[in-house]
Amino acid sequence: MSGLIHASNLLLQRGNRQLLSGLSFSIQSGQITVILGPNGAGKSSLLLALAGLIPADGELLLNRAAIAGYKRSELARQIAWQGELPPTEFGLTVKQRLLLAYGDGDGDRDISVATFAMEIDALLNRPLAELSSGERQRVELAALMLREVPIWLLDEPTAHLDLKHQARCLKMMKNQAAAGRAIVTVLHDLQQAVAVADFVIFIDGKGHAEWGHADQMLTIDRLSTLFDTPLIGQGKLLIPDYGDGI
Amino acid sequence: MTLKPAFKWALVLATLACTVLLCLGIGEEWINPFDANGQDAVILWELRWPRLLIAFSVGGLLALAGAWFQVLLGNPLAEPYVLGVAGSASVGAVAGLMIYPESASVMSIGAFAGAWLGISIVMAFSHLGSNRMLLAGVVLAAFWSALLALLLALLPKSGLGLAFSWMMGDLSHSDLPIPLLLITWVGALGCGLLLSRSLDALLLGERHAQALGIEVKLQRNRLLLLASAVTAIAVTAAGTIGFVGLVVPHLMRLMFGSLHKAVLPASAIGGGILLMLADSAARTIVAPSELPVGVLTAMLGVPVFLFLLLRRS
Repeated sequence: MSGLIHASNLLLQRGNRQLLSGLSFSIQSGQITVILGPNGAGKSSLLLALAGLIPADGELLLNRAAIAGYKRSELARQIAWQGELPPTEFGLTVKQRLLLAYGDGDGDRDISVATFAMEIDALLNRPLAELSSGERQRVELAALMLREVPIWLLDEPTAHLDLKHQARCLKMMKNQAAAGRAIVTVLHDLQQAVAVADFVIFIDGKGHAEWGHADQMLTIDRLSTLFDTPLIGQGKLLIPDYGDGI
Repeated sequence: MTLKPAFKWALVLATLACTVLLCLGIGEEWINPFDANGQDAVILWELRWPRLLIAFSVGGLLALAGAWFQVLLGNPLAEPYVLGVAGSASVGAVAGLMIYPESASVMSIGAFAGAWLGISIVMAFSHLGSNRMLLAGVVLAAFWSALLALLLALLPKSGLGLAFSWMMGDLSHSDLPIPLLLITWVGALGCGLLLSRSLDALLLGERHAQALGIEVKLQRNRLLLLASAVTAIAVTAAGTIGFVGLVVPHLMRLMFGSLHKAVLPASAIGGGILLMLADSAARTIVAPSELPVGVLTAMLGVPVFLFLLLRRS
């Protein structure tokens, strides 16, 4: 499979504000594309547009057909989206929430691979409202793992997670990409981006966006400019310059 | 709760059966439902039984509408009247009485027309999302209440008794045919079950539901129409009966979990049970007079509501 998603001259707006324009890229199976940029630049909005959840101008194709022309049920067979934590008011249990990933909350399905990977076996009968944000994030990642679709869109998957589960999450993403999944993810941690990215999309928060190979994009100069913050390189590590001589 | 689903359902159905027997028997005089002859049989089967069927179906409809509005508005403490439907229905009912002060049928027609007018206005705001729709409903409710006060001031005295008893919730004047109410109960539950997958997905929020393949706008509109139609029929049949639609779905979620293929039938039955009990109490406590059942459900419902609020916090 190649060129699952193809964007050409993409333009994205929220209200009257233009988030980005002129962005062209291609998402292939087996590759991880990381979206980087400052707060409010439009990273999550780009993911939502790729999921067909908000409109975008320009050309945005899924399997050579415009995403806007797909029915929701057809899109759901191609694309899974992990975004904000779902509300907890209605008392859903972890297991029910996971089974809703299949479209039924009460089925008799094997969810053990995902619950084992995210270490939530012991939480299955607990209501979501009783969990910490980190635990809820792990539930969301497990719910994503249950979606047998070619494209995964992840919005800050490592947010709220402790170090151990951040590492698990990144390993899981790499394994999934190695198994042929196309993954697009928003990340804030540069080390994590360096660890997993095959391709990178920069959104600078001033209306510009760029796509390129990770090796060419993840350089100290380019990242310092993108985040408007001086960076220091230590081996493979990229660290912000906190000004205390670290 | 760790009880098996089959046991929970058996419990609900057993409660329904006991409630029916109790409510048939109870009244100004106790009548044994298994041994009623002569005049007792007439009271039992021609007065109490039809009234029980009305209470069951109206209670079930209110609970179903409550469960739907709670999901639609993303708030488990919403209820069928939250969008001002009771207010507009009351205005319609009193407007009907202004034309024919002593006609319950004209009042019912007015209530139904008023309910739909109110719903249509609120639906014009539905594309703005649930929060703004809720806000529109609250503001409209204030408007209807002001208009109602004006109409009541102008209403001839001969219509006041009927107007007040209907507004406080009263099953004794219901003149919708009972088969219609029962068919509505079955139809509403059936439609609700057909939409239960969408309802479940909506528990995760609109974005997640969309990403799972649900046509959220379409399904929301269908649900809103269904919930509104059901509320309009319930309010036309029995006036304003609060808190059944709020409390019952909530209790059923505690018992059956959040998924709608269980919550909806359980609410349809549970709402029926609650209103049958409340109505039997309303016609028994001060017999041979009657209390408005809406007053009783409010008096029962308010403490339960406050308890639930405290429990949630």
